[in-house]
Amino acid sequence: MTGLETLVRLHDLDLLRQELNARSSARAPAAVPIGADVLAVQRARARLTATLERRWLTVYERAHARYGRGLAAVRGRVCQGCFITLPTSALPGPESPKVCESCGRVLCWR
Amino acid sequence: MGITVASAVPHPALCIPDLGPRKREAAIHSMIARAHQAGAVRDIASVLDAVLMREKLSAGVAAKGVAIPHARALAVLEPRWIVARSARGIDWGAPDRQPVQLVTLVLSPPEWSAATHLEAVARASAITRLVRLRTRLLDAADAEAMLALVRTAAP
Repeated sequence: MTGLETLVRLHDLDLLRQELNARSSARAPAAVPIGADVLAVQRARARLTATLERRWLTVYERAHARYGRGLAAVRGRVCQGCFITLPTSALPGPESPKVCESCGRVLCWR
Repeated sequence: MGITVASAVPHPALCIPDLGPRKREAAIHSMIARAHQAGAVRDIASVLDAVLMREKLSAGVAAKGVAIPHARALAVLEPRWIVARSARGIDWGAPDRQPVQLVTLVLSPPEWSAATHLEAVARASAITRLVRLRTRLLDAADAEAMLALVRTAAP
């Protein structure tokens, strides 16, 4: 699994964590059939973060703490996190992901 | 931002009257592929990963022959529900051990809040909550008939 794939997985897992928090804080409708194990989610997250390069984890965690999401998709060269048009220098390189210079989220061009 | 059935299942292509696979993972893959064809999903593998991760962590629900897998994932472009039916049943590993015949896959984009996604899952679950509706969905003639029933069940 590449670094970006791991980050995407981590991002989607963090979205699930947010749902569990929303559920436990009783903001969600009572009829929602969700019963994920919080500890299992935390363990899965720890396993994922252990496989990530520290610098990418730091970038991801910083943006996640600030915005609630550490990763942003790119559509038509626009960062879907802050909606800035990205320069060509933000195009993904062969070996590593890129970061939005405006908001600091890791960019996912796929 | 909320969701209505008309926007979540905008056309009959998102209703699958004869879901082929009998295994859970293959069935979910097939449904995500349908969403991909409809332009709602950017990357099938990534969304499959997100849905299966939630299934593994018991976030999905299966009972009474019905399953509601769901995901809010980076690779989802548009909120969509895919409603599928399997005459032979799918081995879902449900607590009641019943094979699953009706599946509603709920996909939400990452821009949606957790509460909005949970509301979408709750609305989607209404489609199959009543025995009468489940029976009618199982008996529906084709995708268009299924879509009409879905829209009646959760307007």
